[in-house]
Amino acid sequence: MFDPEKLIRKGLPKGYLKDIVVRLFLGGITYLIVVIAVLLFAKIISDGAPALFTSKFPFVDTEFLTARNETLHVFDDLQGTRHQLPASRYNEYLAAHPGEAIYNEHTFSYSGGGIAGPIVGTALLTVGSIILALFFGVSAAIYLAEYAKQSPFIHAVRLAILNLAGIPSIVFGLFGFSVFVLAVPVITATPSDRTLLAIPLFLNDWVLSFQGWNSSLIAGCATLACMILPVIITASEESLRAVPQGFRDASLAMGGTRWQTIRKCVLPYSLPGILTSSLLAITRVAGETAPIMFTAAVAAKDDLPWQGLSNPFGILSSQVQALPYHIYTLAARIPNSEYTQRAQYGSVLVFLILVAILSSGSMVLRAKMRSNLKW
Amino acid sequence: MKAISTLLTSAALISMAGAQTLSLKGSDTLGAKLVPQLAEAFRAAGNNGVKFEIAAEGSTTAFPALANGTAQIGMSSRKVKDDERTFCKTKGVYLKEHPICHDMLSVIVNKNSPLNSLTKAQVSKIFTGQIKDWSEIGGAPGKISIYTRNTSSGTYKDWQKLAMGGRDYPSSSLKMAGNEQIAQEVAKNKNGIGYVGLAYSKTPGTKALVIDGVEPVAANAKKYAFARLCYLYAPDKLTAEADAFLTFIKSPAGQAIVQKVGFIPN
Amino acid sequence: MGIVGSFRDAHFLAKHRQSNSTSPGTMAHEESSPPKPSHRFQRKGFSYERLIKYFFASNAGLTIVILVLIMVFLLKEGLGFFPGYRRELETYRIAGLEFVDISRKNLTAHEQLTSLLNRAYFAEINGKSNREMRRTQEASALFNAFSDRIAPTRDLILNNPQGETDANTGMLATLRANFEKQREKALEKLLPTPHLTAGERRQLIDSLRNRPAEAAEDPPLVTTLAAEFAAAQQKNSEPLQAYRSTIDTFESAGADLGAAIMEMTESVTATKEKLQSADILEKDRKTLLSAASNAKDPAEREKLRSEAEAALAEKPDIDTPIQALLERRPDCIRLHQELKTAAAGIISQIPQSLTESDANRLLKAARNAWPVFLADLDAAPQKINRWKHTDMVPLSDAILSFLTGKDWVTGGEWQDFYGILPLAVGSLMIAIVALVIAIPVGIGSAIYVNQFAARREQALVKPVIEFIQAIPSVVLGFVGILVFGTVLREISVMDSLQWVPGFPIEERLNIFTAGCLLALMSIPTIFSLAEDALNNVPSAYAEASEALGASHVQTTFRVMIPAAFSGILAAILLGFGRVIGETMVVLLVAGNRIKIPDFSAGLGTFFQPTHTLTGIIAQELGEVPLGSVHYRALFVVGILLFVVVLGINATAHHFVNRVKK
Repeated sequence: MFDPEKLIRKGLPKGYLKDIVVRLFLGGITYLIVVIAVLLFAKIISDGAPALFTSKFPFVDTEFLTARNETLHVFDDLQGTRHQLPASRYNEYLAAHPGEAIYNEHTFSYSGGGIAGPIVGTALLTVGSIILALFFGVSAAIYLAEYAKQSPFIHAVRLAILNLAGIPSIVFGLFGFSVFVLAVPVITATPSDRTLLAIPLFLNDWVLSFQGWNSSLIAGCATLACMILPVIITASEESLRAVPQGFRDASLAMGGTRWQTIRKCVLPYSLPGILTSSLLAITRVAGETAPIMFTAAVAAKDDLPWQGLSNPFGILSSQVQALPYHIYTLAARIPNSEYTQRAQYGSVLVFLILVAILSSGSMVLRAKMRSNLKW
Repeated sequence: MKAISTLLTSAALISMAGAQTLSLKGSDTLGAKLVPQLAEAFRAAGNNGVKFEIAAEGSTTAFPALANGTAQIGMSSRKVKDDERTFCKTKGVYLKEHPICHDMLSVIVNKNSPLNSLTKAQVSKIFTGQIKDWSEIGGAPGKISIYTRNTSSGTYKDWQKLAMGGRDYPSSSLKMAGNEQIAQEVAKNKNGIGYVGLAYSKTPGTKALVIDGVEPVAANAKKYAFARLCYLYAPDKLTAEADAFLTFIKSPAGQAIVQKVGFIPN
Repeated sequence: MGIVGSFRDAHFLAKHRQSNSTSPGTMAHEESSPPKPSHRFQRKGFSYERLIKYFFASNAGLTIVILVLIMVFLLKEGLGFFPGYRRELETYRIAGLEFVDISRKNLTAHEQLTSLLNRAYFAEINGKSNREMRRTQEASALFNAFSDRIAPTRDLILNNPQGETDANTGMLATLRANFEKQREKALEKLLPTPHLTAGERRQLIDSLRNRPAEAAEDPPLVTTLAAEFAAAQQKNSEPLQAYRSTIDTFESAGADLGAAIMEMTESVTATKEKLQSADILEKDRKTLLSAASNAKDPAEREKLRSEAEAALAEKPDIDTPIQALLERRPDCIRLHQELKTAAAGIISQIPQSLTESDANRLLKAARNAWPVFLADLDAAPQKINRWKHTDMVPLSDAILSFLTGKDWVTGGEWQDFYGILPLAVGSLMIAIVALVIAIPVGIGSAIYVNQFAARREQALVKPVIEFIQAIPSVVLGFVGILVFGTVLREISVMDSLQWVPGFPIEERLNIFTAGCLLALMSIPTIFSLAEDALNNVPSAYAEASEALGASHVQTTFRVMIPAAFSGILAAILLGFGRVIGETMVVLLVAGNRIKIPDFSAGLGTFFQPTHTLTGIIAQELGEVPLGSVHYRALFVVGILLFVVVLGINATAHHFVNRVKK
């Protein structure tokens, strides 16, 4: 009567070709991105590897990572051998070969030696800003997750977080410059006359002067901390909320105060989540250039930030070199030649490796957390 | 509340920290190449304890930094303006001028350009945008790309005075961060033209033009149309390190480096 | 492990359940002593618990404080801009600079027309001498590339002291051997010369091979070809002699006006300087006086005070120079009329058409501009007569000239203008390029990964895209300036691609280069948000659709995408926000030309360099004197950016919330 065979279409279904085309097209686009990303990395790695890796043990050019940044001198000696020496060794060479003429000398700023200064500077900026942001951010998140009820205040806070997250980094640069560099209060005996307001403290003729911290490590850290605050708050709040309500209920039921509950029963279990997400924030902090251009970074600096200081807090008020700013300098201020390639691509490679470690670390940790922490 | 008190404490600590560095700010012409090398040689000459910080963003940045005390020495490729000097005075900083070398602004074009010389009038017309194509002055046809320094640079203003009769740059000009970047773009653009300090005129891929029959080389400093002095500015009351550094620059050893980098010693 | 831990804590807490109103810090003491009835704060309605709560609340409030601080400080620094700018514009008028600019505008138009005619003339000649030009260019390019490659070893020989010692002679021999080796290597790889005959090429190569290291002059063939080219130019210029003399007449017609403007320029700049230095002196006097009253050392105070007295300035006399300027009005008008008569006569003498297409294009442009030029000259007398230095400059003029001004000219000798338009247009054009690339790619790949990709593919693609997001923007800018820009230009000069509008590109750093890199930056944003949006579509939709017999593609495009549309729109908007706010890439790669692009180039417009809102802040903030009008202008740009980006984000979140509802 009725033949089930007729219901099954023979051969290829009607839309099959279309299906294939769409699939291929979309897949092509997707893999195009992957290919472009891979090409980008390949280019940087192939050009940067000679600077960073050596054929001898330990296979990493430690000098590039640990030496000061100097001018590179390129010259030929009488025998026609080409030398490429950073300034300090160049001066040694001149001292060792008195009276010998050298030819075809070229100098390349920022291209000799290593990048210890920028690496250390970036590390300090990152650590400083993450500490600040974690302290304020986690506190704010605790309030949002544990205390807050629906109120106009909470609504305003959420709106502020949302808006802060969208502000362009250069605007944070402007903000940091006008607030932390020029306007925050310091206690000093000699107020600068750009001070907005000076309040006498009646103690050793000190005044509380609103004149800013100048371009310094602490100003940069504060600016960066403001920038990642929304990221940290959102991530921390999510982690706090992921802790099951039962933990809190148990603690409260046994008479624990709210603070005790938070401290003993909520924070310990959300901490891994908070730290993991803040790793992502670190990646962002380490990579930003615009906010630190006017608040902390300096193009050339001889010593590491802590060298030659009279007191340990001086480090906070000194300007630092930073990897992203160093790369900007290398890209914009010096010529691109075979002699500067080492510095240019080497710095970028180091920077990329750093970022890759941080971001893949956060990816792995996040995956691990999801599988570990299940209630 | 606690937040604010934390900030205050750290702020109080900050202002007490003393700086032991020799910080130089200002001109890119001086600060990108010459001063770092002078500083390196100075350290090599037995002053290892001195720590340098060099920021070369443009001559305009030198004077506010001197006034605020964030720099001990200012680098400038132009003379200080009256209002800048007074501004420093109001902060108790009385500027002293130290001319350290002569410089010549050389006009560079791409190495493959058939042109070798220009007249001053032609240079003025090119940089004010009256001549737009190389064929108008006998080059290979192509739209002229003008590379200039950015607005804070002393060279930017010097050039406007020396070569352009005070007229504005055309809006088609490209503003570059430093001498090296101008040289690099000109080396990569066969229709490019730009001006750089003498020390940068030998960048591979570019060639410096003869202006009104005068070649931009050190020997012609007196005849060349676009020559100028470069200065360091420092407060009249110098720190020991700054004083030693300035003395070193003016010494024969310092002036030898000036010459080697490509400037013209005093 | 979590459960065990929580039990332990609960146990701990149970022990202290009595002391729930006390601080954690005092707990240890209270194990033995009976719990106190209350803490001393508690009597006043305070407790540590509440204090802790307020502490956390204040930290949450910090976000509001930061946002408010951002707005307050941007406004504080930015709002002073408009009065300051108004004062600058007022000086511009009072000193008479504006008056000079009326004539200057026409002189510039005259210069531009001259340039157009000149270019047409040379385009005609060079077009006709094209063969010779190509030949000489190829020969000299080959020679230049060769010289570049042998330069290092050659320099060594030239620099070697020519002493007669044995050691030196031996070394010179080594150097020469090195030079020979290098030369052979250089000769292996030479540029192609399609317009030279094989014989000529061989002759050129031979002359290079036999060239002594010390030779300074060009090889004979290069000189011959250059001479041939010059001869061809000479020959081809002969039929154009009438045209040439027309151009020369036209050029000299503007000379008188130029001279008059030059004279006026000097006098008005002097007036402007007087006005400015009076302003500065007045300000200085005030700062010196205030510094004097603050100075602690009496001697220092006296010194500053006497400086302040010395700085006391009289009101500058501006009436005399301005009257002198106004007296020149009839003179100016006469010069304009003369120029007009000359220009009107000359248009008929210009040839109707030339043979070369380039030349014709330029000629046509000149012809089109001519009526406008004449009309401007006609209107000039009226403008000159109507101009009054006493006209007020209202604040609205300053605001309007900021928002609609086409010039951003700073740090110049003549007059600073702060017009936002070129920067805004630049930002927008880069964003357009970036989004045109990033939207299809980002959303396409989101659809693919979400709907079609196998699990293993997802595991490959997602981390890669996530990693692109982590690349710092300065690295992309670095890649753009060192690699991508150069590659793009090399591609653009290929003969087979000349049909692409805008090719060959003039500048390697341009809108397109920056747009491409920003596209790469915004793809991850768009991708992950769009993928989230697709993920959030209830699975029942897809199941229902497939149950009705729709194919996978149909389900995706007819059901999933419409359902996720709001989310995808939000993804695009957030991507747009990111592109507009990005700084480092555009600072490095956009080319930094402050000019509204020339839209007559059609799609080729996208290959012109530009400057951006973000880039200008980054480039100029570090170098402007604090508190100056220029400094404040940058903050106003910041305010604009802030408002625009927040607006975009608010719209995006509006769409996201619609999905949630």
